[in-house]
Amino acid sequence: MNTTNEKSIQGEAIDLSKVEKAVEKYKNVKGALIPILQMVQAEIGYLPAPAIDLISERLNISASEIVGVATFYAQFHLVPRGQHIIKVCCGTACHVKGAKKIAEKLSKTLDVSLGMTTKDKVFTLEEVACLGACSLAPVMMVDENVHGKLASDTVADVIKEIKESGFSQ
Amino acid sequence: MKTINLVVDDKTITVPEGTNIFQASLDNGIYIPGLCYHPKLSQFGGCRLCMVEVTERRTAHRFACAHPVSEGMIVKVNTPKVVRYRRSVMEYLLAHHELSCPTCDKAGECSLQDITHELMLSPSRFNAVRMNAPVVRDNPILELNRNRCVLCGRCVSACKEIEGVGAIDFQKRGIKTYVGTAFDKPLDCSFCGGCLAVCPTGSWQDRTLEFRGRPWEFKKTQTICPYCAVGCTIVLNTKSGSVRRVTSDDYIGINEGNLCIKGRFGHEFIHSAERLKTPLIKKDGAFHPSSWDDALEYISKRFQQIINEHGGKAIGGIGSEKCTNEDNYLFQKFCRSVLRTNTIDNLSNLRSPSLNSLMYESVIRGIASTSLKEIEHANTLFFFGTDMTEAHPVAGTMARKAIRMNNASLIIANIRTISFSGTAKNDIRLTYSFGSQIPFIHALIKIIIDEKLIDLKKAESSISNFHELPLAFDTFSVKEASQVTGISEEMMRTTARLLTKSGNCCIVCGRDVEEDPLSRDTIKALMNLCVLMNASSPDTGHSKASLLFSRSHNNSQGVNDMGVVPEFFPGYSTTSDVSNRENIEKQWGVKFSDDIFMRESKNIFELARNGALKGLYIMGENPLVSYPNGKEVLEAFQKTGFIVVQDVFLTETAQLADVVLPTVTFAEKEGTFTNMGMTVQRLNKIIQPSGVDAKPDWQIICEFAKKMGYSYSYASPKDILSEIESVVPIYSGINYDRLKRKEFYWASSVSGSRNKSAKYLLNIVQPESLEIKQNKDFPFVLLTGVSLNHQGTFSRYSNALVSVSPECFAEMNRKDAQKMNIHDGDAVVIESSQNKVTLKAKVTGKSPEGIVFVSEDYEWIPINLVRTGVYTPVKIYKETGQI
Ligand code: SF4
Ligand code: SF4
Ligand code: SF4
Ligand code: FES
Ligand code: FES
Repeated sequence: MNTTNEKSIQGEAIDLSKVEKAVEKYKNVKGALIPILQMVQAEIGYLPAPAIDLISERLNISASEIVGVATFYAQFHLVPRGQHIIKVCCGTACHVKGAKKIAEKLSKTLDVSLGMTTKDKVFTLEEVACLGACSLAPVMMVDENVHGKLASDTVADVIKEIKESGFSQ
Repeated sequence: MKTINLVVDDKTITVPEGTNIFQASLDNGIYIPGLCYHPKLSQFGGCRLCMVEVTERRTAHRFACAHPVSEGMIVKVNTPKVVRYRRSVMEYLLAHHELSCPTCDKAGECSLQDITHELMLSPSRFNAVRMNAPVVRDNPILELNRNRCVLCGRCVSACKEIEGVGAIDFQKRGIKTYVGTAFDKPLDCSFCGGCLAVCPTGSWQDRTLEFRGRPWEFKKTQTICPYCAVGCTIVLNTKSGSVRRVTSDDYIGINEGNLCIKGRFGHEFIHSAERLKTPLIKKDGAFHPSSWDDALEYISKRFQQIINEHGGKAIGGIGSEKCTNEDNYLFQKFCRSVLRTNTIDNLSNLRSPSLNSLMYESVIRGIASTSLKEIEHANTLFFFGTDMTEAHPVAGTMARKAIRMNNASLIIANIRTISFSGTAKNDIRLTYSFGSQIPFIHALIKIIIDEKLIDLKKAESSISNFHELPLAFDTFSVKEASQVTGISEEMMRTTARLLTKSGNCCIVCGRDVEEDPLSRDTIKALMNLCVLMNASSPDTGHSKASLLFSRSHNNSQGVNDMGVVPEFFPGYSTTSDVSNRENIEKQWGVKFSDDIFMRESKNIFELARNGALKGLYIMGENPLVSYPNGKEVLEAFQKTGFIVVQDVFLTETAQLADVVLPTVTFAEKEGTFTNMGMTVQRLNKIIQPSGVDAKPDWQIICEFAKKMGYSYSYASPKDILSEIESVVPIYSGINYDRLKRKEFYWASSVSGSRNKSAKYLLNIVQPESLEIKQNKDFPFVLLTGVSLNHQGTFSRYSNALVSVSPECFAEMNRKDAQKMNIHDGDAVVIESSQNKVTLKAKVTGKSPEGIVFVSEDYEWIPINLVRTGVYTPVKIYKETGQI
């Protein structure tokens, strides 16, 4: 395994030395797969395939098992994520209040499908279950901020606002 | 072992402490439904079907597979409450099952189907929702239909625990969970089929079967795998006289239902259209079909003529590592007594000429392993010069069992880095430099003595020449050995300490050691190591360390046991000894002519090349591609006037013959094979050869003998084995009928009868290393080895194996490749002083610099025509012109 730079599926160069560092740090710790994955994700932003292959080789755990673990926990991501994470609630209350339409609208406005990241890597659009703000349904969360009582014709404005607030790039 | 008494469904049973209720019931013939528990695998407890009512201090409901037995426990398997629970669990499982039983190859042996039927689950209270997941067919061997998966986890555990691969695991979670590979890449594994064997539903499918029969239509007969020297028991599933698939049985055979790709999926050659259909006689350079009578008449006339003109010793015979003991016994008897020649040999002996005598000596001295099971019982495993994963895959699973069950330590030493996956806590991987194996073993011995890792007093008193040891090792320095071998002193010390750790130690001597020019001394050094460990073991007589010798093919051991070698009669009695000759003469009722035993040490191909042979009789071998120097074989054939080859296919060797006789495959014959653990196992005749006019080898020999004026009155291999029983002392006590139920371990009966109080003896050798002369024109060394996916002629006619592994690669070191600007997949030429071959390069870190590695098992790649010996100096260049 070449431990220098490798390309991810998305064609980005990945600095595998960061992975080496994580593996090195937990060298003598048993069952350190999850902390290693966390550290790698914190460094790279997600878990690219070459990183997983390297961890697999170093830890002598098969790549299938590692991906199994990574896909089990919601905290890990196998594809790159945007700067801002938009979580559209699809819980029961929001569903009743038309969450589907909101999600569709967002997807159209951002030109990205659910679960994916926009081409400019600014937004990642995700679906989640109840955000715990049912009284404001339908609800979405952009990073740490909750936006409630949405309507499909107002979401675009919210996005615009975020973009304009200089809060992006 | 402490035992526990409990009552299950009114039956009192006694089981070892620590057993779970599920296993306890299984062992006592009580059925509890369950989908995820499997005796071979670690407990998972995912299916929730095995719930039973358990009364200990109080009555509660427990999962049988997860609950250990306790004294006085009362278990009820089918109370109304339990059954109600079980039914609802099943209803959930079936809610999104595709229930495609009519077109599912598993129907009839599907646990899910059986339990559904048993619980009378119809109609369901739920509306079924089909998952409609696409069927995964990303490889030629296994199909994965996730719509049938119940997420029991058996395949995941089998892949990880037994095969050590971990190619598949649960992906995602909750309702989205599925079994799959990382990033859904195509399955890329060893294709052992373990997942298929343990899956309780039809999720995994054998693509060599594909709708060619339903489980209840198959006749299932056990027999022995025709590929490697592990000797796994396989179960052939036949319908209308043809083999439709191979399965395994966890409860029969030394392999406990584990197989490798060749055993499980390499059966298609049996019905290959390329099989030889009739005898062929060559006239004017072309083969013409002939009747058996004409062919036998012709060869007996020709051989008789040679005997009349030149004497029998002008005929050579090559026996087979793939044929049965009975075929081989008869072959050597026929050669020696009818053709009147002792110029007989087999490929295994030709490749490692010092192995037989040292192996036999080890057996007699109680150093040799008496069964492959010793791997499973080991606390320390030392693989020396062997690539277990490729060469003896199921022995590898035995090793993993030792690691899982006994927490065994693992030491692997090789010239190249080899892959072996295991989870041993002490796992040492060493690569020693080319030719330095003896200094390596000596260093271990020296460390053992210096660090007093064994009871030296005890060793001194039980080894008669112990005093020679300090003298011999006086000038030997571990430090120098470390330089020669390239292994750090620290690593060697750790290795020595692990080897001498308490418990059993099993040392596997691999083919890299056995075929090396220094093999004789290396094996002796290994024997010394074992002697030291055994002589000092607290209860002398019990072998602490044992040596397991690698053999390649299904019957490489047997062909030597049967004496198809110039230096031994069957059972390793030397032919140079007149009394042995007289004994055999008496038994066979013949008289050997005196001169036939004169040149026993000469290599058969060398004799032929010198023109000493006028005729050659080859049974089931293809030396042109399997002998380390193909050119010598070619020259030998060209010099030999008349060649008869007996085989299943028209091999490269058969093409050069004058007469070719078609023989049957293992599925169509009876007899016995002896594996590398010296375990004799019985084959069963399963089908009649169809569409080919082929005969078993022993029968051909009988008819050939008849034409030569001798009468062999064997009606079947059973008769031959009973003669072997009386003529071959090491097989004494073997019984054909008893073999049906139980294997015969010849080494344990031989070493069991040795004098246990006799003193041990060291056989000290010089710590020589092999030097490969630097060659300016041919700067690389060509090293060959084995391959998991191919072996011998049969694998190339098995589509499944060829499609998994269609191509042979030249593996080279990354640095070498960089220097020559060679990349993965580039066509490179490997050229020696006598020939060249073009292969695709595989750039790895596995081979050290200066070494190019090529597998020998792709018979259609004539790598052995390039080789000039065990290690061949070669040059490498890109195909597009020399750099
Ligand atoms: S897996 Fe079993 S229950 Fe499912 S379709 Fe196949 S035979 Fe039927
Ligand atoms: S594929 Fe078979 S063995 Fe594997 S989890 Fe699914 S049902 Fe169990
Ligand atoms: S090739 Fe060897 S390991 Fe594989 S199934 Fe046959 S005997 Fe077993
Ligand atoms: S359902 Fe959307 S916040 Fe609760
Ligand atoms: S067999 Fe016990 S939970 Fe599956």
